[in-house]
Amino acid sequence: MVTAWATLKRNWLVTRRAYPWSYFIGTLGPGIFTVVVALLSYRAIGGGRVSAWFGASSGTSDYLGYVTVGAAALMFTTRMVLWVAKAQITEQREGTLESQMLTPAMRLPYLLGVAAQAFITSILELCCLLGTALLLGVRLPVPDPVSFAAAILAAFVAVFGLSIPISAIMISAGEAHITQNTLFCVVGLLCGFTFPAALLPAPLTFLGELLPATAAMRVLRAATLHAAPIQQVTGDLLICLALGCLYAAVGLLVLPHAERRAITRGASA
Amino acid sequence: MRHALRVIGAEAFKQHRRMFGGPLVVFSMLIWPALQLAITYYTMLPLLETPGIGERWPVAAQPVRLLAFLATGAFAYMFYFSLVQSAWHFSFERISGTMELLFLSPASRFALVLANGTGALVQNTWLAGCFAVAAATASGSLHVAHPGMYAVAALALVIPALAWGTFLNSLLLFSRDSAFLYTLLDDPLWFVAGVRLPLFAMPVVIKAIGLAFPLTSSLAVLRGALLDAEPLSGVAGPLGLLGVLCLLLVAGTATLLRIGEARAQRTGSMQLY
Repeated sequence: MVTAWATLKRNWLVTRRAYPWSYFIGTLGPGIFTVVVALLSYRAIGGGRVSAWFGASSGTSDYLGYVTVGAAALMFTTRMVLWVAKAQITEQREGTLESQMLTPAMRLPYLLGVAAQAFITSILELCCLLGTALLLGVRLPVPDPVSFAAAILAAFVAVFGLSIPISAIMISAGEAHITQNTLFCVVGLLCGFTFPAALLPAPLTFLGELLPATAAMRVLRAATLHAAPIQQVTGDLLICLALGCLYAAVGLLVLPHAERRAITRGASA
Repeated sequence: MRHALRVIGAEAFKQHRRMFGGPLVVFSMLIWPALQLAITYYTMLPLLETPGIGERWPVAAQPVRLLAFLATGAFAYMFYFSLVQSAWHFSFERISGTMELLFLSPASRFALVLANGTGALVQNTWLAGCFAVAAATASGSLHVAHPGMYAVAALALVIPALAWGTFLNSLLLFSRDSAFLYTLLDDPLWFVAGVRLPLFAMPVVIKAIGLAFPLTSSLAVLRGALLDAEPLSGVAGPLGLLGVLCLLLVAGTATLLRIGEARAQRTGSMQLY
C-alpha cells in the first residue's frame, strides 16, 4: 500500500508539472472525431434513423448514445494502457528500471499506484470528451448509479489486467509504439466499442469474448443506456472481473522474466 | 536534371536501407489501416438499411460498394500519411546531425526534399499498393470508363502526394518540434478530407476547409475514376484544383527552403533539436 501511494504521489506530481499534452490531444482527437462522424453520418446517411436489426443486436436504438459511450470507453482504454502498460518501459527509457528492481517494492502495488493516478487523470480527460459530445447535441440518459459504479470498476479491472501482460511484452521487446497501436486497433475492432461485436465474423466475436473489455463494455452500456439495475449485469460483471484478474495474474507471472530480459539486453530508446 | 536524379537515387537507396522490411512499415502501412478500415465499416453499417438510403447515398445500397468507398479513402489517406511519417523521419536528420551536412553539400535543396518524400513513399506504400490492387481485382468493385483512367487516378494520387510531402519536409527546416505534424495532420486530416465520410454529409465550412488539402481532391478523382466510371470530363473539376494546389505547394516549398536556409545560416539552428 505504501508503494502504491508513493507511486501515485510521484506520478501525480510529474503529470502536474509536465502534462503530456500531445498524448492528451492524440487520444481526445480520435474520440471526438468518432462522435462527430457518427453524428454527421447518422443525420446525412441514416436520415436520422438506424437499421431495424441494430436494436436487436445492440439492445438499443440510440445509435448516437451507443457510439458516444463506446468512443468514451475506447478513449479511457487507450489512456489507461498508455499510462499503465508503458510505465515500466518509460522507467527503462528514463534509466530508473534498475533502481526499481533494487527496491524491495512489489510490482502489483507499484502498478496499482500508476493505475490509480492514471484513472483520476483519465476520468478528467473523459469529461472533456463527454462535454464536447454534449455541446454537439448528443444526449445520454441518466445512468443507474449502482451499476454505473460497478461498470467503471469493471472497466478499470479489465484495462488494468490487460495492461500488465502488455507491459511485459513491451519491456521484453524493448518497443512500445507498434505494440500499443496494434493493441488499440485490435481492441477497437474486437471488443464492440463503436458497433455490436456480433456483426463480426464468428471467430472474431469469439476472440473478442476472450478480452475482458468486451464484457466491461456490455456492463457499461447496460448501465448508461438502459439504466439497468445491478442484478441484470451480474453475469457480465463477473466474467469481466474474472478475465481481468486472470490477465493480471498471467502478467504478474511473466513480468519477472520480461524484466530479466529487459535488463540483460539493456536500455533501448 | 541528371544532378537531381542522382540525389533522388541516393536518397531512395538510403530510405530503402533504412526502412525496407522493417516492422513499422508493415504495421503502420498495412495492418493498422486494415483494422481501422474494418472498424469504420462496421460502425457505419447500422445506418445503411434505413428507409430512403438509395436516394440519400446510392453507394450505401450495397455493402461491397460501401467497403470499396471506404477502402479507397483509407488507401489514399495512407499515401498522404506515409509522407507525414517521412517528414517526421526527416527531423531525425537533425538529431543525428546530418541535416547540416545535407545543406553543406552542393545538392539541390529542392531535389533533396523531393527525394526524401519519394523514397519514403515507395518504401512505405508498395506493400499496401499490391494488396489494394489484388483486393480490388478480386472483389470486382472497380468500374472504370476506359483504361486510361487508371493512369489518371494513379497520377492524381501520386503527384499531389509528393508535392504535399516536399512541402511538409521544407516546413521542418523551421520547426524543431515534429510531433505537431502527427497531432495536426492525423485525425483532422482524415476528417476534413472525407476519408471515412462522403462529402455531402459534411457542413459547408468543413467542406471548404477540406478543399485546401490535396487529399480531398485526390480522393474525389480516385473514387470518381475507379468506382463510379466517370470519364475524364467528369473529374475535370477536382483535377484542375489539384493542379492549382500542386503549383502552390511547389512554390511554397521553394520559398520556404530559401527562407529556411537563410534563417539557419543566420541562427545556426540546423543541428538543434
